[in-house]
Amino acid sequence: MARYGIVVDLNRCTGCMTCVVACKEENFTLPGVWWNRVFEVEGESLDRIIYFRYACMHCDNPPCVEACPEHAINKRPDGIVLIDHDKCQGHAECAKACPYGVIGINPDQKYFPGEKLPLEENLDPHRQHPPGKASMCTLCVHRIEEGREPACVAGCPSKAMIFGDLDELDSPVGEKLWASRQVLVSKGTNPKVSYIFPPNSFKYVEERSKKEGTS
Amino acid sequence: MAGKWDLRGDTPVSGNPKRTSLAQKENDEVGYTFCDGCNEVPFCGIKFYKKGNVVTRIESWPGFPAAPICSKAYATLQRLYHPKRLRFPMKRTNPKGAPDPGYERISWDEAYDMIVGHLNRIKEAYGPHAAFFYVGDPKEPRAAVQRLAAVYGSVNYGCESSTACRRGAQLAEMLTYGFPTMGDLPAEETRVMLIWGTNLAYSGSPFMCHGHFMDAKERGVKFIVVDPRNTPTAGTLAAIHLQPRPATTAALAAGMMHVIFKENLEDKEFCEKWIHGIDELKSYVSEFPPERVEKITWVPAKKIIDAARLYATHGPGGFKTGAQGTTHDLNATNNHRGILLLPAICGYIDVPGGILKPTEPLEEMAPWFDGPPKFSMRDKMTEMKGHRLDREVFPVWAEIFWEVQTNHLVEWIKEGKIKAFLGWGFNTMIWPQSHEYQQAIAGLEFSMAVDYFYRPWTHHYIDLVLPAAMCYERLAPFAFFKRQIFGRTPVKPLGECKEDWKIALDIGVRLGYKDLFFNGDVEAACNDILGMWGLSYEDLRKNQEQGITVPPKGPEKYRKYETGEMRPDGKPGFMTPSGKIEALSTRLEKHGYPALPEYKEPMATSKEYPLILISGSRIPYITHSKWREDSPWLLELQREPLLTINPEDAKKRGIYAGDDVILKTAWGQIRVKAKPTIMVPPGIVGIMHGWAKANVNELIPRQFDPISGFPPFKEVVCEVTKEVAK
Ligand code: SF4
Ligand code: SF4
Repeated sequence: MARYGIVVDLNRCTGCMTCVVACKEENFTLPGVWWNRVFEVEGESLDRIIYFRYACMHCDNPPCVEACPEHAINKRPDGIVLIDHDKCQGHAECAKACPYGVIGINPDQKYFPGEKLPLEENLDPHRQHPPGKASMCTLCVHRIEEGREPACVAGCPSKAMIFGDLDELDSPVGEKLWASRQVLVSKGTNPKVSYIFPPNSFKYVEERSKKEGTS
Repeated sequence: MAGKWDLRGDTPVSGNPKRTSLAQKENDEVGYTFCDGCNEVPFCGIKFYKKGNVVTRIESWPGFPAAPICSKAYATLQRLYHPKRLRFPMKRTNPKGAPDPGYERISWDEAYDMIVGHLNRIKEAYGPHAAFFYVGDPKEPRAAVQRLAAVYGSVNYGCESSTACRRGAQLAEMLTYGFPTMGDLPAEETRVMLIWGTNLAYSGSPFMCHGHFMDAKERGVKFIVVDPRNTPTAGTLAAIHLQPRPATTAALAAGMMHVIFKENLEDKEFCEKWIHGIDELKSYVSEFPPERVEKITWVPAKKIIDAARLYATHGPGGFKTGAQGTTHDLNATNNHRGILLLPAICGYIDVPGGILKPTEPLEEMAPWFDGPPKFSMRDKMTEMKGHRLDREVFPVWAEIFWEVQTNHLVEWIKEGKIKAFLGWGFNTMIWPQSHEYQQAIAGLEFSMAVDYFYRPWTHHYIDLVLPAAMCYERLAPFAFFKRQIFGRTPVKPLGECKEDWKIALDIGVRLGYKDLFFNGDVEAACNDILGMWGLSYEDLRKNQEQGITVPPKGPEKYRKYETGEMRPDGKPGFMTPSGKIEALSTRLEKHGYPALPEYKEPMATSKEYPLILISGSRIPYITHSKWREDSPWLLELQREPLLTINPEDAKKRGIYAGDDVILKTAWGQIRVKAKPTIMVPPGIVGIMHGWAKANVNELIPRQFDPISGFPPFKEVVCEVTKEVAK
């Protein structure tokens, strides 16, 4: 069984935001909802800005799943953590439980209020976002099921992200996995998104992640 | 989202999903176009999916030479269906100067009648050269608009490249090498790369090429990055990062050449044989020892020495220069010429892994940037040269380029030399002291602009606004890369939008030149060009995704200056008056300008203005004044003009992230938000241009480099103060 994850090489990430907008274009998330973000991290012992691509970690031990009173979140056998909008009641317990702070609640807002754009007719299910429901990165499960990488990974011009089955050790992602590190390991989540860090940057990047989780 | 896929099941996929193209869903048709998000030609390739006439999804065009696409390209989908898009021609109903222009919808017939009426009247009353034709952003209509200007009979055609963009550097390249080049991707043979004044990670040319540079670094290519800012390009690539004080380029280049000559690291044979003025250059740079250059440029002497040694001894070396990063100062041309001489003295010109002149560019074609000479009627433009408005003020420019340097537009309108202005994608904020251009344009007898949205900072001052079809709705122009040609498969434009080329052709037809403008048929116009290679648009459609390659006559050749293949007359040498690379420019000498790449001290900081202002450097999801309201996705990433300021400088001024600050120069001030960051070193602040509510170009004087006519967007001294809340 596959165990999907991403290794992000922060040596290659430039903060170009392509992944961020590729995610918007793919998933049509609502205003203010950014499943995939990029933070700029600076620190005293860093001589450059580190760009830190950030989204749901699709944890092996996801606290969000446990936290939901409606049992609306599920980790599939292939490791993808998904929210079931039929069950979700918008309690936001998951958002509080997630140590990475990557779950939001869909706002009742549109980019063009009162307008129905031509391309909004018959939206694909992955582009529909009922207000009031919890919302987070799906790892583009709809693409994975078609045999394609997540939109952020496919779109990255710097090839900073490598996606795949983390258990396939001789695959491109498996080969990079050894060089990567997870953030907030102490939370016991065993995240399936891990990072290759430029020198001296781990501490600052992890701090940034912690800040997201507690804000 | 639930229900469509099995929340509990395994995926039906075996192995690892790939970076493949979209699986084609039922009823989805495929289409192809080129992005116009950043005003680059050649353009990045977009493959799209549509239901009927509606585009629903996009991705990078697989295998396209300019790919992958960037954030702006993804946002073109949202822009396409933006409810505020212009859909109909509109004319002003209130006089200029009125607070509200009172734009009202009119028919295309009325719009065309208006344009043609004015053009005929103006030709009659003042002569055809009193109509100015202009192409801003996107560049795509350049060929068609030049043709329109030429047939109408006006030599006065200009574009944004000739205002503040690529042409300044190109002028330096033509003067020095005799051919244009911004360098290439590192080749297999390349061992060292010099990246000067460009942040490839955000504005790579011709596409998001940074991944290729990272690959080159991983295979051992050494990078020297020269940029005052701490860009991701420097951060991810640089073995040596030099951060010069803005506008001191020629001094830094002289310092590096000083080291190379002093340590005998130059390619002596090449220098002797192929560089005109090598002795004068040597003697000039002998006055620039690293210690002195450190004082001028702020770059530590040791780093200058290290960089010079690395570049000269680790050849072959390539370079990548920016379109305009090094030409936005009052010594623009000679500053950029300094850079160009570095690879020249090392003998890296037209050698494998070095800086190449393409052996076999597509015959009869010039980049879209210029337009194919025959279609764009270059001969006619050259014939009319005597009427060019820029001949006296920018003579070197006028000698080299067929398009007019536009920065003296204000003077020419005031002097009554221009009476009408026809602009495609035209933006007054491109100019320093923008309000002077706005006022001048408002004083014209007739002006029009073609655009996607109503842009008050420009359209408030003109008479007529025409709605342009967007990239998914355009057929012209096709794209070409080296000898490979691609077409596109447009959907029908929204509302009454028309593509830029169509508008230019229609005007030509209505002026009475039906045949010369292909009866208004855009495909026929493209076929006129494609016919030069025995092709038609239909052939491009038949080879849609992979394009068509016009076979070259022979293999890539190198050191073509030895064989006579650099010059049309077949003589060995370069396409310069001396036939050599010109350290001492014969053209500059002739016109009485400093003929060596001389350093000129930039504006001095003072107690009042202790900081240096850099504007015009890119953030990845904005281009110029576009991409604010055009796409809310992108606007959400940055809603306000942000001033980057070094944390030390911020601290000294009691400024914290998000504070309102006043950015002030001797010419004006704006209110912006502060973003303390190491992106800029101490002493320098940076801001993106093109924010209508805080237009940084109002802070820049109308002073110009005498050779290129370029304004000092990266030189002016300033101060930043915290805005105290009242
Ligand atoms: S990162 Fe947060 S949302 Fe994602 S699986 Fe882990 S706990 Fe759940
Ligand atoms: S697309 Fe790639 S390089 Fe750009 S911000 Fe995202 S991860 Fe970084």
